[in-house]
Amino acid sequence: MIEALWVNLDYAASVVLFLIGLYAVIAKDNLIKKFMGLNIMETAIFAFIVALGVVDGGDAPIMGEGARAPFTNPIPQALILTGIVVAVSTTALALSLIIRIYKQCGTIEADELREME
Amino acid sequence: MMVSWPHWIIVAIIVPMAGAVLTPIISRRNDKAAPIWALFIMSLTSLAALFLIMRVAQQGPFSYLVGGWARPYGIELHFDEFSASIGIICLIGWLALLFSYHYVAESIPKPRIPYYYTLVLLNLTGMIGFVMTGDLFNLYVFMEILSLSAYALVAVSGERVAEMAAFKYLVMGAVSSLIILFSIGLLYAVTGSLNMADISTRLAGVENRLPVMLALAGTAMALMVKAAIFPLHIWLPDAHAIAPSPISAILSGLVVKTGVFGLLRVYQIFYGAGTYELAGLNTTLIWLGAISIVMGAFFAIFQEDIKMMLAYSTISNVGYIVMGLGLASQYGMIGATVHIFNHALIKATLFLGAGALMYKTGYRTLTDLRGVGKAMPLTSMAMSIGAISIVGIPPTAGFLCKWYIALGAFQAGQPAFGFALVFGALFIFIYYIRMVNSFYFQPPTHPEILEVGEAPVSMLFPVLLLAALCLVMGILGRIPLSFIEPAVTRMLGG
Amino acid sequence: MEVVDIRPVLAPTLSLVCAGLIFLTGQKAFWRRFWSLGAAVLKLAVVMSMLPGTINGTVYVFRLMDFTPGIGLGFRVDALGMFFAVVSSTLWIFTTIYAIGYMEPEHSKVRFFGFFALCVSTTVGIAFAENLLTLFLFYESLTIVTYPLVIHEETPEAFKAGRKYLTYTLIGGAFVLIGTVLTYQTAGTLTLSKPGILSLANGTQTLTLLFVTLIAGFGVKAAIMPLHGWLPTAMAAPTPVSALLHAVAVVKAGAFGVLRVIYNVFGVELLQQLNLTMWLAWLAAFTILTASFIALFQDNFKRRLAYSTISQLSYIILGASLLTPMAATAAIAHIANQAFAKITMFFVAGAIQRKTGKTNIHELAGIGYRMPYTMGAFTVAALSFVGVPLFAGFVTKWYLSLGALEAGDWWFVLVMIASALLNAAYFMPIIYLAYFKAPPGTQLHVDEARPTLLIPIIMCALYVILLGTTAEVPGMPFSLARAAVRFVFGM
Repeated sequence: MIEALWVNLDYAASVVLFLIGLYAVIAKDNLIKKFMGLNIMETAIFAFIVALGVVDGGDAPIMGEGARAPFTNPIPQALILTGIVVAVSTTALALSLIIRIYKQCGTIEADELREME
Repeated sequence: MMVSWPHWIIVAIIVPMAGAVLTPIISRRNDKAAPIWALFIMSLTSLAALFLIMRVAQQGPFSYLVGGWARPYGIELHFDEFSASIGIICLIGWLALLFSYHYVAESIPKPRIPYYYTLVLLNLTGMIGFVMTGDLFNLYVFMEILSLSAYALVAVSGERVAEMAAFKYLVMGAVSSLIILFSIGLLYAVTGSLNMADISTRLAGVENRLPVMLALAGTAMALMVKAAIFPLHIWLPDAHAIAPSPISAILSGLVVKTGVFGLLRVYQIFYGAGTYELAGLNTTLIWLGAISIVMGAFFAIFQEDIKMMLAYSTISNVGYIVMGLGLASQYGMIGATVHIFNHALIKATLFLGAGALMYKTGYRTLTDLRGVGKAMPLTSMAMSIGAISIVGIPPTAGFLCKWYIALGAFQAGQPAFGFALVFGALFIFIYYIRMVNSFYFQPPTHPEILEVGEAPVSMLFPVLLLAALCLVMGILGRIPLSFIEPAVTRMLGG
Repeated sequence: MEVVDIRPVLAPTLSLVCAGLIFLTGQKAFWRRFWSLGAAVLKLAVVMSMLPGTINGTVYVFRLMDFTPGIGLGFRVDALGMFFAVVSSTLWIFTTIYAIGYMEPEHSKVRFFGFFALCVSTTVGIAFAENLLTLFLFYESLTIVTYPLVIHEETPEAFKAGRKYLTYTLIGGAFVLIGTVLTYQTAGTLTLSKPGILSLANGTQTLTLLFVTLIAGFGVKAAIMPLHGWLPTAMAAPTPVSALLHAVAVVKAGAFGVLRVIYNVFGVELLQQLNLTMWLAWLAAFTILTASFIALFQDNFKRRLAYSTISQLSYIILGASLLTPMAATAAIAHIANQAFAKITMFFVAGAIQRKTGKTNIHELAGIGYRMPYTMGAFTVAALSFVGVPLFAGFVTKWYLSLGALEAGDWWFVLVMIASALLNAAYFMPIIYLAYFKAPPGTQLHVDEARPTLLIPIIMCALYVILLGTTAEVPGMPFSLARAAVRFVFGM
């Protein structure tokens, strides 16, 4: 059990990160903190997928002089690059929404906002 | 000749995407240009969609390798019968854009108008890509395009409640997207491929079933959030009710359906693999579908706000579709897929109609809108047709789906759900009859409402056309059914 | 012999087009009346043109399109459907004339006449439905298009009545839909062209469930107790609508549905083996007696008529569930006999209300002197219901009693006699009041309602006598009922 956990330490770490993020999204009242939770979740997933492509002792998959096998799998890295772009735009949109909510309501605490409705 | 040109499929994605980006530039000098440009772009896209649908009708499903990279390395666009939903996306998108011409000019601050059109076009691009792609990661990317633009569109009116609703929608949507990404990662880990057809074949031989089942559960749950299945629906009512009406039509008619469509693709992958036991997922979907039908209807009864009522009714109707999918019988599947089309038509009629009423009268509750049937007879008639259709009274589009899904329930040996479906529809009728009563038969609360006339043609035409389609699809419903049938047979047959 | 012919579709389409024209041009009284009457006459002509062929066994068929492989929108004119269509198209003309006169001072006339035409369109659709799905389609549409008529007054009571009407009928419709789906699942077809599509091989349990579902569904509109609650409440509607609801379209659609289920879905032979119809017969007998009994205590004229309708409708159900040729003939013939007599009574109630403003029975003393023709027509209809020979009602009672004896269930004859007595007990006081209880100072000079109201009343009353005296004459509706029975029993 412990050994399995140790071997898959990278996966276990991303699961823990994911749960921390989920906790923040659900439990925090501050909208920015909520969103930081979401960012933590994103990071957890990215880490997980990148870890999938790791090969023990693998080299960066760059062809050309000095390239030697084995290489780490480049596809997850490419995917996550796209994923990061998506995450950045989500963050930008969310932050701009939060700014506008703050301007109009004077608060970004979810419980206070609920009372205003 | 035109039909068999292979590049239409990429045109259908590139044109609206480029059009979206160019909209603010085009309308820099002349702010009237944005809507016309967007309509022009959508017309081009619709043309491509038309050719694609004709091709799939003639030759069956076909693939397109983007940039010529062979699968499973490159991105594959795959156009099958289900992808023909691109037709309804283009239709509703085009009509919503036309509707926006007058509507948006009043309800959105002027400098934002070009960006509104950009967002709508991006949203449509996302959906068009979503239904055509054959690559799982590409699916995720298109899903994010459509979701992000949808979040922004909810907030576009700039009211306080709108931003709150958008934020709620965003958080739920983003979490579900992440879970999908995680599941895609898992599937990639066990199969080493991202191509859907490829994954389907490779899954059959996978030894370790645990990650696969985890991925299945994750995807299903996340897609249920997108499809607003009870109890994951909490983001929907506010977002759909507060968004500008053409956007509500797109969100309720199309965007919610991408969740269901995703489930359909998941089924395709796992049925294709053949060796997976899907009974658990099926049971969940049937039960949640039935609960959604009832709960959606139940909440809708207490709504005074007309758009809020329509939003809850969407939850009920997605319940139908999901139930049909979960029944996993031939008729149930066909009914569910066709209801994806038909509900889009019906709900767009209702939301656009509600938009026209709000535009002319300035009121949005059933009490305030009393007597509007005399002032705006055509719009009210269209909305009544929509109401009858959504309850599934023959001979309208809604009936055909109800008939098929009920048949599917009996075919799958689940008659209890057939009963639930048919009687759930009665529940839905309770609140639509309130709408019809208030339009036609009750004395007006605000007498001045009798003075307003019909909305401008740009708003009236989409509403009437959609209402007419609701009727026509009830009578000619066999056409989409027979179109979808081979695809469903192929899927269920493995 | 089956013939492909456009006329089965033409009949419902005519009324549909007429409804469209009324909505478009109906603001002008002339066009509204022109289209209503024109379509009514034209439609009767279309229906009648098929009558000789149908009596001789020709079946007109027209299929429009398929929904599911093999089933879809199809029209088929057989003897049973023809019978219903003839009755409803004939009565449409009378009701239209009556409605033109009656609705004069009312509001929203365009809506009224438009939906009126739609109502008749769907009724003929029900009559000519080729399969159970088409039947359901029109059955459900009928519910929707009668709703605006029920709540025409737009008063709180009218809305309450409308709500109750919709609740009952839509739940009924849901049962029909379930039954239709289940039938398709069991039999693999939904056609109504055969004397029975189910067989004993489908399993007794399934068949029982199916029978109960379908009868419960159609029984709502046929107002079998305890599913009758909507009918007295729906009296809030204007009189022509009550007449239409209670004599022609809605209740008969339910009864017709029951007949189709018994004769064309299950088939007489299968039901005899299943022994399912006995409880239905008892339920019908119970309804006949209980409803008559309740009618005794109603002072509101239209409400008394409503309970009388509930009682009379169950004659049809009883006749159908006895499963003998004689009883079946009575059941089918009663569709017409009851319709003409009951519509006469409703017209009378409406004419009195319009002329004198009186809606309660105790206020009617001496009315026979003031409106002699109207009350004469009422007397004819009442005698028909009591079952006096030479009137239409007698034919039904006679054949129904014969059918009960044929089936060996002599106690139903007692039910018939009891019902005749009860009918007499609640109709005769009205006649007595009208002619013999004139309070001093009663107007003795004749002051009839306007001709548009009076003519339909008299015509309908004449029809009641005609149907009663010509039962054995070939070519009359009764021979059509016979033709239908011959087909059902394979004779």
